Amino acid sequence: MSAPNPASTGLFINGQRETGQDVRVGNVTAALAVANIVKTSLGPVGLDKMLVDDIGDVLITNDGATILKSLEVEHPAARVLVDLAKLQDQEVGDGTTSVVIIASELLRRGNDLVKNGIHPTTIISGYRMALKAAVSYIKKEMVVNVSELGDDHLINAAKTSMSSKIIGKETDFFSRLAVDAVKSVKMNATAADVAGYDAMGSGGGGGAERLAESASATAAGGTTAGGTKQRYKYPLSAIHILKAHGKSSMESNLIDGGFAINAMRAAQGMPTFVEMSMDGTPVKIAMLDMNLQRHRMGMGVQVIVKDPAEIENIKRREMDITKERIRKIIDAGARVVLTTKGVDDLCMKYFVEAGIICARRCNREDLKRLAKATGGRVVTTMADMEGNETFDAECLGGCDSVREVRIGDGEMLYVYGCRGHGASTIVLRGANEYMLDEMDRALHDSLCVVKRMLESNTLVPGGGAAEAALSVYLDDYATTIETREQMVIQEYADALLVIPKTLAVNAAKDASELVARLRSVHAKGQHSEDMVDYGLKFMGLDLIEGTIRDNLAAGVVEPAISKIKSLRFATEAAITILRIDDRISLNK
Amino acid sequence: MASAGPSPGMGPIMVLNSKTQRTHGRQAQIGNIAAARAVADIIRSTLGPRSMLKMLLDPMGGIVITNDGNCILREVDVSHPTAKSMIELSRAQDEEVGDGTTSVIILAGEMLINAEPFVRANVHPTVIVRGYNYALQEALSICEKLALTVDVHDADRMKALVQSCIGTKFSSRWNDIMIDMALKAVLTVARETPTISSTHGGVSDVYSQKMEVDIKRYAKVEKIPGGEIADCAVLSGVMFNKDVTHSKMRRRIENPRILLLDSPLEYKKGESQTNVEITDEEDWNTLLKMEEEYVENMCMEIIAFKPDIVITEKGVSDLAQHYFAKANITAFRRLRKTDNNRVARATGATIVSRTDEIRESDIGTGCGLFEMRKIGEEYFAFFEQCKDPKACTIILRGGSKDVLNEIERNLTDAMLVVRNVVFDPRLLPGGGATEMAVSVGLRKAGLKLEGVQQGPFLAVGEAMEVIPRTLAQNCGVSVIRTVTQLRAKHAAAYEEAEKENGGGVFPKCNWGLDGTTGKLVDMEEFGIWEPFSVKIQTIKTAVESACMILRIDDIVFGSKKKGH
Repeated sequence: MSAPNPASTGLFINGQRETGQDVRVGNVTAALAVANIVKTSLGPVGLDKMLVDDIGDVLITNDGATILKSLEVEHPAARVLVDLAKLQDQEVGDGTTSVVIIASELLRRGNDLVKNGIHPTTIISGYRMALKAAVSYIKKEMVVNVSELGDDHLINAAKTSMSSKIIGKETDFFSRLAVDAVKSVKMNATAADVAGYDAMGSGGGGGAERLAESASATAAGGTTAGGTKQRYKYPLSAIHILKAHGKSSMESNLIDGGFAINAMRAAQGMPTFVEMSMDGTPVKIAMLDMNLQRHRMGMGVQVIVKDPAEIENIKRREMDITKERIRKIIDAGARVVLTTKGVDDLCMKYFVEAGIICARRCNREDLKRLAKATGGRVVTTMADMEGNETFDAECLGGCDSVREVRIGDGEMLYVYGCRGHGASTIVLRGANEYMLDEMDRALHDSLCVVKRMLESNTLVPGGGAAEAALSVYLDDYATTIETREQMVIQEYADALLVIPKTLAVNAAKDASELVARLRSVHAKGQHSEDMVDYGLKFMGLDLIEGTIRDNLAAGVVEPAISKIKSLRFATEAAITILRIDDRISLNK
Repeated sequence: MASAGPSPGMGPIMVLNSKTQRTHGRQAQIGNIAAARAVADIIRSTLGPRSMLKMLLDPMGGIVITNDGNCILREVDVSHPTAKSMIELSRAQDEEVGDGTTSVIILAGEMLINAEPFVRANVHPTVIVRGYNYALQEALSICEKLALTVDVHDADRMKALVQSCIGTKFSSRWNDIMIDMALKAVLTVARETPTISSTHGGVSDVYSQKMEVDIKRYAKVEKIPGGEIADCAVLSGVMFNKDVTHSKMRRRIENPRILLLDSPLEYKKGESQTNVEITDEEDWNTLLKMEEEYVENMCMEIIAFKPDIVITEKGVSDLAQHYFAKANITAFRRLRKTDNNRVARATGATIVSRTDEIRESDIGTGCGLFEMRKIGEEYFAFFEQCKDPKACTIILRGGSKDVLNEIERNLTDAMLVVRNVVFDPRLLPGGGATEMAVSVGLRKAGLKLEGVQQGPFLAVGEAMEVIPRTLAQNCGVSVIRTVTQLRAKHAAAYEEAEKENGGGVFPKCNWGLDGTTGKLVDMEEFGIWEPFSVKIQTIKTAVESACMILRIDDIVFGSKKKGH
């Protein structure tokens, strides 16, 4: 960064200082540069980026957040946008690219307004007003309430989210996979969770917003017969994604109600398969977070024996301690034993003889999930309150069968029919590691979208439809404002058009013409009283054919929350950067 | 004060780390294609029966002589990220099916090369990708129609199959031996796995295999330099490179009782640290005596079961050897865990970890003959004539270590081919016949396709021809003439089928290229078949990876390390 003459700043600080328009221009340029990087990856015809790090490791991705995270962005204002993408990724899981593009467009237009002599605070308040109006418009007009959400809608939403990704060509297959996976981990939501969903929708709310919120809540609640309807939650952490290269992406599969763990049998003598007995007693699984190696005394423990024969006893005891532990685990009925630590070769024989599958050095996180899935607990110690060692049969998880499966060159343990809370595993297959990583990211986005849909029960049309509608609406809204915020709101309205524009540009279509047509259709829909034109507000872009169509009917949909949140995040980020008019970088 | 953009006085605004380099747009796409072409060109000459070997020198000065695609690419150090991604393909192919590592690279490279005109003509990559995917689905369905099911126990058919796989390899002179060995080894280790019982209720499982064939663990290849390649053999049992611990022990036992241990037969201190302070002379003696008694006890416990052979993964002390020699027991020490597992499976023994827990059922009696043999300068223990061995050792003999290494790679490929057929007994014609059939089929189907993706769809068909083309090239016949003739044959079969059945029926045309002479032959008569799973996997991997690479429009070098 160029250094303004320190004398002119009038401050004697050990560093550099930039003020006013200089810093604003710098910030906006940086933000635009960041947006330009991810711009081409937006939409169903967006392309991927290949990132190569210092060592030469390759990362191929289409996910905005991942691209930005991997780039070494140095400019502080640009960092705000990178964090913005990260935030969107955490909160919503999808739409990371669009949020960055909107924010940078808002900044660019904000900066132009400042150049025309409008004070940043006016711009900020204008942006806030526009945001509020936009959010309430989405909730009032754009949202489609789906009280009994059909699978079609879910699949469509998942398809929309994955259409831009590497798995976009096989959307039918993967959207089904994503929807089934999310549905399989359905759990009853607690009151706190429900409050959480509602809060997610509102946030910075005004009066109109609250109203719409409660309306949608009742709609979602459906017939309230003597109490609120049970709502569900879908913890994505219960969906386990395993990657194994080989085969083709179409051979990825979902193990419904099952769990796969990347571990193999500790000894070859163990069976490769155990299943429940005929009377339906489940296969019991013990999950341990402790060592089944020969017992050794802690550091610094000193035992003094007088009789040399005692040494022999100590040695024998060391072996017996582990043996007894294993005996207790086996007696408790475990038929599969998984541990995060090691298992002594010495002890294998007990397992082999009892026909038990034992796997060592499992991933601890995986075991915790498996414990949840099978209704068991991860046991860290066998000591009880009396100072003895016992193994509580309660800690054992249950399942229908466990099988060791060869995948590619390695082995995995598949646990079928878990008896606890829902759990599912998606095993991804693909040509190579880079592809699998990208499939994983894409699938994660879709899972998030499906989850949001199921939790909020509302959707909006995608493909630039919502943005175009908002743009037309905000233009009209601006004319009702008599203060100088009017101009700002108009700019905000124009800024939203960046999404349909970028979509069209990426598809190599005539962006100006398409967007103009889109806007005119939406204007007609909003200004007409005729019910025939009601559906016009769902018109969006068809990027393959290069025309406009009803995206709701075409099945290009997104969860409403995702749209609202991305608007909110983008606006907040733009405001944060616009407020800056002074930058001091201190020398270290 | 500057009011518009970064004015000249301000200097550039550095958003990214200045170390990073970007290539984007067309340049990136063309660069990627060029990289893929370069990788494919490296190994192009190793396809087919007339293939040549490559000699690779590693930085340490070691040499690798091979024509295995995966093996070559593993040794080549490439820097272009796309080239790296291509090399990964070959690895995935090797791990999944074990064969076709060369074809997958050549095919993927060709897919990208054929996409280049479209990229240059400004066709959107997503359109190309879509066309490629349609073509992939169509190609797979053509393969399904061409496939032929084989009986795994039909020895002649299986031989022909393996023949076509290792025909291209260095060891082709000893094909008969190699084929018999591969077949025998795989059928030995094949084991039925318990099937999921019906109590499950509709758990459809893609991976439920009826057969388990664990070549990695139970078919061990022992390479012994010296002798002739004709001396190679598959034992009906196992063998390992160890001598008996004591020269007085028996060196030949018929129907031995075998005990396997993974615990030491010597005095070992406990896990907890022990310090011994001795104040009394007597105590010292007691300690020594205890150690001896400990070993003696263990030996007595073992001897009580009257085994003829004791094998342990750990050490055997001199004292224990003495006891064993006295009890007429042959002992081996420091055997590898994997070897011990193999012995256990071949002889039916269970590995015991504590001597006080030995049971009669742990003793292995499945072995018919134990014998120590001296090959070259070393002693080897042979456990032969096993009853129903589910593990085996393959002995390879040959001139030098490099030759042996190459033979081992060939044999591994051959065994994997057999394994794939055991899993999925469907076959496709080799010698470029399948590829040509797919190519012709795609050309027919492509013309009916509407929209921009027709071009890329047809391009896939053309790309498939690279296999017969390369085969023709490598055996030195006129490439264009041969490939055109082959194409004509397939197209004619199509016409005929259409005339007779009015279309819709897929013609079975198995004409392909004899890779040695370069003549056109009917694969049905010539007997060159390849496993269905390998072919399918090759096509899938090639198209999918080509799609992935085509979708890239931006390459950033010097990004942060993956920090998740």
